Amino acid sequence: MASGYPPPFEGTGEVKEGFLCPLCLKDLQSFYQLQDHYEEEHSGDDRHVRGQLKNLVQKAKKAKDKLLKRDGDDRPDTGSYESFYYGGVDPYMWEPQELGATRSHVDYFKKHRAARIDHYVIEVNKLIIRLEKLTSFDRINSDAAKIRAIEKSVVSWVNDSDVPFCPDCGNKFNIRNRRHHCRLCGSIMCRRCMEFVPLPLAQKLISGTRESLCVPGSPVQSQSPPAGGGGSGMGSRRGSISSLSSVTSMLEEKDDEKIRCCHHCMDTLLKRQQKLEEKDHTPDIVKLYERLRMCMDKVDEKAPEYIRMAESLNAGENTYNLDTAGGLRLEVQKYYELIDALSKKILTLNAKDDPPPHPKAMQLQRMIRYTATLFVQEKLLGLMSLPTKEKYEELKEKRKQEQEKRLQQERLAAQETLKKRQESEKNRPPPSTNGELLQAPRAPRMTKASGWLPSADSGNSRSELQDPLLQQIENIQSFLRQAREAQRTDEVAMLEENLRQLQDAYDQQQTSLAIALSQKLAEEESLQQGEIHRLKAREREEREHWGPAVGSTQPSVTWERCLGISPTEGIQDEENTEGEELTPKADRSPSSVRAFPALTSQEESPPRLRSLGGHVTPPGGEGQNSTSLNPFEEEDSTPVEEDPSNPFFEDIQREHKEVTNGKKEYNPFDEDEDVREEKQAETAPGNPFEEEEEDSDAGNPFLEASGNSPGVSTNPFDGDDDGEVLPDVDIIEEELLLQQIDNIRAYIFDAKLSGRLDEVELLSENLRELQHTLQEQKKKKH
Amino acid sequence: MNVTLAVKQYISKMIENSGTGMKVLLMDRETTSIVSVVYTQSEILQKEVYLFERIDSQSRDNMKHLKAICFLRPTKENVEHLIQELRRPKYSVYFIYFSNVISKSEIKALAEADEQEVVAEVQEFYGDFIAVNPHLFSLNLHGVARGRSWESSMLSRCTQGLTSVLLALKKCPMIRYQLSSDMSKRLAESVKQIITKEYELFDFRKTEVPPLLLILDRSDDAITPLLNQWTYQAMVHELLGLNNNRIDLSRVPGISKDLKEVVLSAENDEFYANNLYLNFGEIGTNIKNLMEDFQKKKPKGQQKLESISDMKAFVDNYPQFKKMSGTVSKHVTVVGELSRLVSERQLMEVSEVEQELACQNDHSNAQQSVRRLLQNPRLSELDAVRLVMLYALRYERHSSNMLPALMDELSRRGVSERHRKVTTPRSLDVLWTFSGRSLDVLWTPQDIIVFLIGGATYEEALTVYNLNRSSPGVRIVLGGSSIHNTKSFLEEVMSATGQSGDRAQGSSGRHGNRR
Repeated sequence: MASGYPPPFEGTGEVKEGFLCPLCLKDLQSFYQLQDHYEEEHSGDDRHVRGQLKNLVQKAKKAKDKLLKRDGDDRPDTGSYESFYYGGVDPYMWEPQELGATRSHVDYFKKHRAARIDHYVIEVNKLIIRLEKLTSFDRINSDAAKIRAIEKSVVSWVNDSDVPFCPDCGNKFNIRNRRHHCRLCGSIMCRRCMEFVPLPLAQKLISGTRESLCVPGSPVQSQSPPAGGGGSGMGSRRGSISSLSSVTSMLEEKDDEKIRCCHHCMDTLLKRQQKLEEKDHTPDIVKLYERLRMCMDKVDEKAPEYIRMAESLNAGENTYNLDTAGGLRLEVQKYYELIDALSKKILTLNAKDDPPPHPKAMQLQRMIRYTATLFVQEKLLGLMSLPTKEKYEELKEKRKQEQEKRLQQERLAAQETLKKRQESEKNRPPPSTNGELLQAPRAPRMTKASGWLPSADSGNSRSELQDPLLQQIENIQSFLRQAREAQRTDEVAMLEENLRQLQDAYDQQQTSLAIALSQKLAEEESLQQGEIHRLKAREREEREHWGPAVGSTQPSVTWERCLGISPTEGIQDEENTEGEELTPKADRSPSSVRAFPALTSQEESPPRLRSLGGHVTPPGGEGQNSTSLNPFEEEDSTPVEEDPSNPFFEDIQREHKEVTNGKKEYNPFDEDEDVREEKQAETAPGNPFEEEEEDSDAGNPFLEASGNSPGVSTNPFDGDDDGEVLPDVDIIEEELLLQQIDNIRAYIFDAKLSGRLDEVELLSENLRELQHTLQEQKKKKH
Repeated sequence: MNVTLAVKQYISKMIENSGTGMKVLLMDRETTSIVSVVYTQSEILQKEVYLFERIDSQSRDNMKHLKAICFLRPTKENVEHLIQELRRPKYSVYFIYFSNVISKSEIKALAEADEQEVVAEVQEFYGDFIAVNPHLFSLNLHGVARGRSWESSMLSRCTQGLTSVLLALKKCPMIRYQLSSDMSKRLAESVKQIITKEYELFDFRKTEVPPLLLILDRSDDAITPLLNQWTYQAMVHELLGLNNNRIDLSRVPGISKDLKEVVLSAENDEFYANNLYLNFGEIGTNIKNLMEDFQKKKPKGQQKLESISDMKAFVDNYPQFKKMSGTVSKHVTVVGELSRLVSERQLMEVSEVEQELACQNDHSNAQQSVRRLLQNPRLSELDAVRLVMLYALRYERHSSNMLPALMDELSRRGVSERHRKVTTPRSLDVLWTFSGRSLDVLWTPQDIIVFLIGGATYEEALTVYNLNRSSPGVRIVLGGSSIHNTKSFLEEVMSATGQSGDRAQGSSGRHGNRR
């Protein structure tokens, strides 16, 4: 699908939202207003293709936003902003920006720190070396004079006479306040300012420094000159000898088991000691925390994997094994338990200590626990459940059926492509059809067949046009409501899943669709000019019919069929049928299919329930791919219906019969007793071309229809695009048109009789359009 | 141009730089506000930041297993605190970020204090302002003026704040200022000076139309902050006081414990984001819808949860439900309190007269309305002062003005001396309301930063918001030295006139000129 043709919606400067007129960018509050505006102001203008495409994307976005909101979303909570919209941008929507300016001072900082650290490390090492020397001899057995001599040899002492006052406290030295020398730096202080390094501490420092020198990456090592390292290494050997003696000395409580020093040196040594202690010590909380984070990381890694599996399984796919997924689920749950347990442990860590830990430590523990709780809450609750074994089998079965249906469609598609090629040889542009229309009904249809399980087709939905998808989303939402009301949990879950997928698909699809459209348009622009007005007229007509409900040419038929099935589903009939209303169109109108190579292998398998599945076809908005698909035709050609094992056999049969009836004497006012009667009537003529098609080809009306059918967009949202996409509509035969006109006249009459005035209006509008078309055709012919 | 995003990006970058592991965020008083306005606690917790500490706090304990992220303004005190911290580090490693330009000598002092080599990062991240909304920032500075000139410390703080906004948004602007205001001129010069000095920092990619920095003076429009407001955000600020997006509800009668202080952040509160610019009437409807929505979601009593599917549905909805219940009770409380105040203070009537004073030119009607309201015993002191001020601003020079009589009336009502002094408002000349008009000047598509010396208002924020939405290619950010409501504005005026009321009087001549 990729093309060299630039998608027109890319690269436009700013994003505007709302129902903007594509030509004048005027903001109109609703789609219908926009429509009116467009018809009034620009009907004469040439259609600006790009603008429209942009418009389409925006409209669809808007529509989606609205739909995706919760049920009561018709409130004006954002509506009132729109009045301000003249093209500016809400500050909340300003495009992302890069990180603001920054400036780093790290290099400058490090340069200055390095100088300082060198100095500091040398200082520390010097002190430690001296400390070693001071403790390396047998202090206990040496007499005071000898000790003093050795101490003096380690560092030169400051002259007493140079220091008349204690440098720290400023007191004058005298007989009573005597001078003391720091054994580590030689400075002088008074007795009160003096400190002692106990020998055990000295030992610890010396040995610790030696060890740290063996540990790479320690800051001291990185900064310290090699000479210092060698010195302390030597010293440590001696130190270990002396440590024995220091133990003995401790027992004797001798005065000389400490070394005098000033508080500056003491300070430095204490810092050093603290650092040594911290290096080896990992607090419990860190160990627990690391495990906690590991579990969280595992969850982050596994949970998405599991969710993928669960989604796939819940959709009945075979990609993953149910047991594997179950195992993974257990694993993930185990991690959750672990996270819970670990964080609880962190919370209560040291809680009963005496004295109690620092309040900040407690706060830290609480916060970690709180975060873990948030984590579990957020992630665990998002963990969807797996289907049970039986359920899974059921799902698989359904999926299989769908795939078969798809397969059939594919085959049809292939045929169609062939046909198309032939046609194009005749210089006829590929038949564009109201394929979009088909899509819309799909969701309900699926629902019928598989009990709220349109998930499979959501996979394909990429090829769909926006509106059907939107419609589907809407439908599913309503089903969801019903299912909830009916308390059918599994269905609810599935539907929700479904809905989500649809929404995702919707986004992707928008893009690809737009690209496809633009391509198509580029190719056919020239051909299409003549058709534009007529097309536009059609669109409008279609749209009008669409307004209140989705039209169908065979309402009664559909409805009955629904009834046949719905009781088994246990869903309120009314809702179902409402959904069903949409289906017939799908049946009849051709849809384009995207090739699903993956499915080809299943071609052999006997299609079951094809009639139902047929509607699953991913219809391509892209005219190129578009092929006509007729599920009913399939039924005819294959004997599957006859298969008695098929539980839907009866339904199908009936359906089939009904379809035939419908063909023969189609009466849109065949409305039963039902509530939807009005809608049906309204919508009945909505797709006049189908009817024509039917008539034109009695043998196999549905299949042929697509071949001949003029491009009509029945979808109000897509209207503009469709007009462009399906530009080269074959000339409709006058006969058919006339017939259609007659039909509509009849409808009008009926509507008048039953007093449905709005309908009358719509219908007469429709009529006018048709007449206009007819004239155009005539002109062309001549 | 999104100031909220700019600060958020700075902070998440800081956290990202520090790697994994438990972290503590060390801040000062101002950076605490800067961070808390843009991030909620749970958002930050998810980034492994578990503790939030003030650099000047004495109660911090040694926690060597934590990494410290320091986000500080480059003040003398902070640098001093940091030096002390580095001398005896409490955490294993420090990542230091200053919110503005810091001098080399201070870096050097810090480097020399880092003997333990605990500092891993020293950077300037220019988040030196309070990002209230994406297009609105405040510096939370009060009393910027003395008379008609700058309070000395405030000029440099404003310059810092404004340059940090420019740096955070990567804009090197053309500066325009209000010629009539000396303060604007001084600030513009001061900003220019910084840009010249730090030209390397301001070397951003050039745009076709250079961004514009527009500096205006509050004293040109004293009316806007005196009017009662009727949009949600502005109203909350006017009636309850919005401080860093937080409201103190503790004075509300019968308030529950967890609603004493609530956060109103458009970032995390969808309802607020959708309604902050809507007017009070619309909010009433929306809050009703919110309630109904909530009630639909709410599990209806015990019997509803009996079936498994109900349980499941409940669990499915639980996080959303919980979040919603918080939102619902918060907004219901706030809106309830607003409407209580509106009726208690008869703000409808007051507002009507305000509008008459501000927009019409009918002196006799105006003075009658003011007098009538002043007779009303339910009129609050603040509203009385407000009305008389508006009257004075409007008709001060009217030949038959009733100001002395109204002042008497005020004193009879027992309005405090303090307020009455303010009400002698010769200092304030008002020509036009800011909204809409002064900003309409020159509309080429470009990025514009508007700064209001003396404080902006939420009313103006709304105007700028709408301008942003309506002008293609134009992006406007509004800033103020603070964000005013009537009360804080009166205080601002008092602090400005407190010392130099006489000088202010001289300004009335200018008024005439400009007309």
